[in-house]
Amino acid sequence: MTAVFAIVKRLLTSNKISFIMTALVVICATSSGEVVLSNGNYTWLLAAFTPFFFVFYDFTKLMHLGASKKHYYLGCLISYGFLAFCISLVNTVIRLLIDPIYPAKTVVNLMDVCKWTENGIIVAGFQQMFFLLLVMIFLHVLLSMQAHWYGWLTDAVLAAIICIFTPIAPLRGILSGFFQVIMLNGSAVLHIGVCLLLSAALSIVGLAVLKRKTL
Amino acid sequence: MIELRQVTKQYGQAAVLKNITLSIDEPGIYCLLGRNGAGKTTLLKSIAGYQNITSGTIQVDGKAIATSTLDTGVSYIENFAKHFNLPVRKLLRLASEVNPNYDYDFASEMMERFELDGKKKFHHLSLGMKTMVSTIICLASNKSAVLLDEPVLGFDAIMRVEFYDMLTESFRKHPRIIIVSTHIIEEIAKTIQKLIIIDKGSVRFFDTLQSVETKAFSVSGLQKDVEAATQNLNIIGQDIVGGLATVYIFDNPPKETASLEIRPLSLQDFFIQMVGHKGGTVR
Repeated sequence: MTAVFAIVKRLLTSNKISFIMTALVVICATSSGEVVLSNGNYTWLLAAFTPFFFVFYDFTKLMHLGASKKHYYLGCLISYGFLAFCISLVNTVIRLLIDPIYPAKTVVNLMDVCKWTENGIIVAGFQQMFFLLLVMIFLHVLLSMQAHWYGWLTDAVLAAIICIFTPIAPLRGILSGFFQVIMLNGSAVLHIGVCLLLSAALSIVGLAVLKRKTL
Repeated sequence: MIELRQVTKQYGQAAVLKNITLSIDEPGIYCLLGRNGAGKTTLLKSIAGYQNITSGTIQVDGKAIATSTLDTGVSYIENFAKHFNLPVRKLLRLASEVNPNYDYDFASEMMERFELDGKKKFHHLSLGMKTMVSTIICLASNKSAVLLDEPVLGFDAIMRVEFYDMLTESFRKHPRIIIVSTHIIEEIAKTIQKLIIIDKGSVRFFDTLQSVETKAFSVSGLQKDVEAATQNLNIIGQDIVGGLATVYIFDNPPKETASLEIRPLSLQDFFIQMVGHKGGTVR
C-alpha cells in the first residue's frame, strides 16, 4: 500500500494547476442582483479538471518511474475519493458560512438545486461527495478511452444521446429521469446507492480500458 | 526468464516482428543489436507489456505479458522518457516510493558518481543527463527483467565508460536479465555475456559472445582456394573482387594454408555480415 499512497501523494501534488485554477475562480467569481450563484459551486471545477491531469499528465510519467498499472489505478480511485470529500467539505462549509453573508435575497448553491439539503447538511455533503466521485470516475474513463476508436465512438454516442433525446419529449423524459436519479435526487439512500453502483461499474470499465492502454 | 513463442507484431500490413521464438533463461547482460527499423524497440516494448503483439505469447517469469498485465515485473526505459519536472534527487526518491523493490542506495550512489546535480530539475538537464537519470531509475528498479533501449544515446565517451561500469555493478549486485539495445557495438562487448541480433523482424543470432570469438572468421585468398576451404562451412557473407575472395564464416575455421588468410571477425564486422552486406556478390 506504500506505493499506492506514494502515487496518491504524487497525483495530488502534480494537480497544482487544477487547484490554483479552481481556487482563483472560487475566490474571484462575482455575481450581482437579487439572485446570485454561490462561489462554492465553482469548487466542482476541481472535479472536472483533475481527471485530465491524472490521465494525460501523470500516467506515462508514473509508468516510467516503475509504478505498476494496478497501483496507478488504485491511486487514482483513492485520489478521486479524497478530492470528492474535500470539494464537498469546502462547498458545504461555504454553503453554511459564506452563502448567508451575501446581501442578495437568494443564493443558489448546487446542493440546494439538487435537493440534497432537504436531507440535512451532513447527508447533503455526502450526497455531493458521492456524486462528484461518480463525475470524476466517469471523466477518467472517458478521457482514458480517447486514444482508441471506442473513445471516439463513446463521445459520438453521448453527443447523439443528448442531441436526439433533448428535442423529443418522451426521450427527454428518460434523459431527465436519469439525471433526476444521479443528480437531482432528494432520496439520499437511493442517490448514494446509485452513485456508488455507477462508480463501481465505471471503475470496472476504466480497468478494462487501462488494460488496453499502450505506452 | 523471458520466453517468446512465435511472436508477430504487425502495424497494418507491415510485420515488424516476424514469428520470433526466443528463450532467455539465465540472468545476464544481453546486447540487442539490429539496424534502424529492425524491430528492436518494438521487441523491447512488447516484452515490457507497453504494447500488444499481433500473435504469439510472451512470458516473463511464467507470467503472460500484454498491456493487460497490471504488474509485469519488467522495467523498460527508452530515450526521451518523460518524467516529472522534479529535482533529480527527489525524482529518484519518488521512484523508490512508487516501486517497492527499488534500490534507492544504488540510485543515490550512481547519481553521485555521474555528478548529477541532485537539486537540478529534470527538464533543466542535458539530453545525456536525462538519459542517465532514466537509466539509473530503470536499473535501480530491481525488477526481474530490465530493458534499456539505446541508453548511451547522448552520452559522451566518459559517460559511456561509466555507464558500462554501472551496468556491470548493477548486475553483480542483483543478477537478473538485463537487455541493452545499442548501435555502439565494440564498446559494449566487454560488458555483455550474450548477443541477440535482430534483422527485419527476425532473430538472426542468439548466442554467447564467446561463440563469436571462436567461430566468426574471415577467410581470404584466391577465389578457388577460398571456396574449396569453406565449401562445407556456414558462410554468412562474402566479397569477391577480381579473382580474390573473402568469405565470412560462422563455423570452425578451416586449416590454415599458405594461400589462405584467416582472421577473427570483430563484433562489428560480424554484425555487419549478419544483417547487411556492403558490395561483393550476391550470397
